[in-house]
Amino acid sequence: MNLTSCPFEKEIRQRLALGQWPDACPQELRTHVSGCRSCGDLVLVSEAFHHARVESVAAARPVPPAILIWRAQLRKRNAAVKRVSLPLLGAQIFAFAVAQVAAAGFAGFEARNGVAWLTWSYWHDWFVQLPQAAAAQWDSLSFASLAGSAWSWMVLVPALTMVVLLGGVAVYFATDKP
Amino acid sequence: MSWEFTLPNSWAGGVQDAAGAGAADPAMENEAFAGFYERSARPLWAYLARSSADPALADDLMQESYVRFLCAEGAPALATDGEAAARLYLFRIGTNLLRDHWRRPRAASIEEIPEEFFVARGQATQTDAQILLEPAMRQMKPRERQMLWLAHAEGYSHREIAKVMGLNAASIRLLLFRARRKIAALLRARAADDGRKS
Repeated sequence: MNLTSCPFEKEIRQRLALGQWPDACPQELRTHVSGCRSCGDLVLVSEAFHHARVESVAAARPVPPAILIWRAQLRKRNAAVKRVSLPLLGAQIFAFAVAQVAAAGFAGFEARNGVAWLTWSYWHDWFVQLPQAAAAQWDSLSFASLAGSAWSWMVLVPALTMVVLLGGVAVYFATDKP
Repeated sequence: MSWEFTLPNSWAGGVQDAAGAGAADPAMENEAFAGFYERSARPLWAYLARSSADPALADDLMQESYVRFLCAEGAPALATDGEAAARLYLFRIGTNLLRDHWRRPRAASIEEIPEEFFVARGQATQTDAQILLEPAMRQMKPRERQMLWLAHAEGYSHREIAKVMGLNAASIRLLLFRARRKIAALLRARAADDGRKS
């Protein structure tokens, strides 16, 4: 395929752009176009597209620009909210991970005493004794005493985990979008 | 009031961000955008409608193009980069949206297509240019339609077309030459057919 452009092509292109074709063009240029395939194609296609553009531009029904500005603002705001929500999601995942670790630790600690803790009666007794045990320990409640008491850790770790977990859940519901 | 509506403007972002960091007055920016929109919306719609042969799709894509233009952080600013650069950027967004649309699997049933889509194609309402050009355009590849429109309707140079379409400027020349030759042959054939019938 010969890609060498015709020397008249540039002039024809300019005249087409200025709307001078064909009436304001010299006869020799018109004669050339009728004989040159490349320039003939250029004129034919340019005129067809020019007419099509005029029709299409007239047919366009653009919406008011304020609607687009509002939609863009809304989209930007949503994107910003999403960006801000990311650290919160991280906190939720962290809380869940802590809860899992605490649960595993608790299960491991209790597993040393056998599998009795898996039974219903074990937990029933544990809950019944819990107020008395808590009252007994209330006076000596300090970090030092807590650190020294395995039973206290047993209560404290799940309690803290529960707080963290519930906090994560609360944050999740607060940020959850419909 | 939900907490997300109390975000500082630097987080939430206003329209002024789209026009660059130097923008001071959002109302003025909105005014500049409205002027730009007034001058560029119809040519963009014409490009999208002719390239896709679907006016309803062109409506959607035109709106989406402007929304993306306003949201884009790297978009040329009307005040500093000029309207020509902004217009090229806008056409590029439109081109990419069209490409995405064509790549998507088609699942629309005939009931979902609006009635105007068919009415607009009635022979009675078609003009001479549509009767000649539309059948020829339908036989062209999407990329050829886009390229021809940008070159011959919008008057863009090879370099500008390359920017809009994301192609190499050197290859545009050859692709455009082939596309022009192809559509010219189709137009001549169509004109000859019409001449024989009448």
